[in-house]
Amino acid sequence: MLVIKNLKASINNREILKGLNLKINPGEVHAIMGPNGSGKSTLANVLSGKNGYKISGEVKYLGENLNDIPVEERAQKGIFLAFQYPLEIPGVNTNNFLKTSLNTIKKANGEKEIDTIAFLKMVKEKAKELGIDEKILSRQLNVGFSGGEKKKNEILQMKILDPNLIILDETDSGLDIDALKIISDGVNSSRSEKKSFLVITHYQRLLEYIKPDHVHVLSDGKIIKSGTSELALELEKKGYKKLN
Amino acid sequence: MNENFKISPSEINKIKPLNQKDKNFRLENLKLFNQQGFPSRNQEDWKFSDINQIFSKNFKNLESFKNESKPKSINFIKEFDHNNILIVNGKLENSEFKFEDKNKIKIKSFNDSNFSINNQENSLINLNNALSNNGLFLEVADNYRFEKAIIIYNVFTDDLKDNLLNNKNKIILGKNSELHIVEYNINQSKNKFIYNTTENVILNENASLKTINLQANQNEGFFYKFSKGKMGSNSNYSSFLFSSGPKFNKIDAEFDLEGENCDCNIKSALFINKDKHQEIKTKINHLVPNCKSYQKIKSVVDAEGKGVYQGKIYVKDIAQKTNAYQLSKALLLSENSEFNSKPELEIYADDVKCSHGSTSGSVDENSIHYLMTRGLSKKQAVQLLVSGFLNEIIGDIKSNSVRKFIENKIEVQLHGY
Repeated sequence: MLVIKNLKASINNREILKGLNLKINPGEVHAIMGPNGSGKSTLANVLSGKNGYKISGEVKYLGENLNDIPVEERAQKGIFLAFQYPLEIPGVNTNNFLKTSLNTIKKANGEKEIDTIAFLKMVKEKAKELGIDEKILSRQLNVGFSGGEKKKNEILQMKILDPNLIILDETDSGLDIDALKIISDGVNSSRSEKKSFLVITHYQRLLEYIKPDHVHVLSDGKIIKSGTSELALELEKKGYKKLN
Repeated sequence: MNENFKISPSEINKIKPLNQKDKNFRLENLKLFNQQGFPSRNQEDWKFSDINQIFSKNFKNLESFKNESKPKSINFIKEFDHNNILIVNGKLENSEFKFEDKNKIKIKSFNDSNFSINNQENSLINLNNALSNNGLFLEVADNYRFEKAIIIYNVFTDDLKDNLLNNKNKIILGKNSELHIVEYNINQSKNKFIYNTTENVILNENASLKTINLQANQNEGFFYKFSKGKMGSNSNYSSFLFSSGPKFNKIDAEFDLEGENCDCNIKSALFINKDKHQEIKTKINHLVPNCKSYQKIKSVVDAEGKGVYQGKIYVKDIAQKTNAYQLSKALLLSENSEFNSKPELEIYADDVKCSHGSTSGSVDENSIHYLMTRGLSKKQAVQLLVSGFLNEIIGDIKSNSVRKFIENKIEVQLHGY
């Protein structure tokens, strides 16, 4: 699904990723843990195609070189980033946005666009699964949403757009236990042989709910250790410093 | 001033009927205009919209009047029930009040110099006083509340070219009356012309007037409207300006809040593209205690467009407990776009709540990125952010059918981006 070789990324002449290697097969869930400033969010940004980074190295997604592909095409090809801080978009109705997004992706893939009635029915079902109050979907996108509502809305988007590679950037931050459980259930029910997940997190807590196949430790722009979910427990006990 | 823009006193003889008093008044005003010419940036009120220069650049000569002509077919609004008034090149053609008690409404063509606004400093008003030969007079009787809105179809015919049209309107609302107006400008001309209007709005005690100004299409017209309002106690005025479309448009509104507890609202959402130029200038005079005024102006400027907001709030010493608010936000889509904002507060009372703010900036890159990660192209993302930015104003329209209609119109305008 995703192969990263010797990925380096710098912004404003400061190197943040310093030669990162990672391979994710279809159906796998990988977790990346690391202290503040280790480059976790940069990795998420770079994979989403965000502007402003100077990049070298190789990133292949489904065999295709990602570096030259613009942001929207990555999304159309099935890469999804759930943001750590979802943006508030004033004046834009959440439902309208979700429909525009889904139909743009469908169109790009030569699929038939969904009509409003079918769309609303689908959204209603998926929102219910995630315990999202339907009313917020007719409000402005993320405007005035609580932290938990914003994160749930990201997972709702993931469910609607049905991507192949899902990057969760600190989706657990700012969530209470109940919301964490609902969101994890949402992710777990989407797991399949065809989908891969890259879960970026500070804390082992999330990994109790979303069980990873592989855990990697990111430190100073490189993966310094990889292992199974045992590694996450070890980190929780000893902290990141001991590993260095 | 361009010599071509001096207007001969003989032009005034074309206006009929004309009594001697009226003629003298017009000649006096014409003299003032010919002395000053069109306003230029040397005047504070015009420093961001040098109309003398703009007119010189766009017109070689100007025809003061326009013979009668018929519009091409008009797409009347079908989305919601309404009364209608048809105005062609400034002339009241007909009106229909299907939903109303006609005894409560007075309407006529208006060209009465007695109602002129005297302003020695504004030569466009002098010009209007000298040459206006058309307009609308509308009066609503005391205690009469309209069942449905009036749509004023303001049509400009396709044979307009280098014409200078001068118009006067007067709208009077009696005590406890209520009226909603949508001024819908349909411009069939592909050519340049000038439309200079002065408007007098009088709201008596407890009257309520809501107006929406909307352009149906992009056009080459140059519009100036001076609007003078007087508000009695407990009266309510609300104005929405969606006047994107003309090549040049300046709305100059001055409201006197003369009775206690009145409420004056001006909201605007403008999309200014190509090399278009739009200005909204307001002066809200709080002359008595306990009145409220609220202004929110949102502008999106693209390409070589230029937007201006000059807003002044004046609070007289006796106007205690005034609550006045003013906000201008501009979104600039291109490096060549320009927006000028000049908010002013002049306060002589000590127990008031007045606030103002002004921001301008480009579209947030992080927001664009967020939307693009959901599959939208950059253009789609910007369009969505722009319509979201303007929707905040449109969303304040209470009537669902009217709001949907306006939303669609604005969406079409933005699609041209």
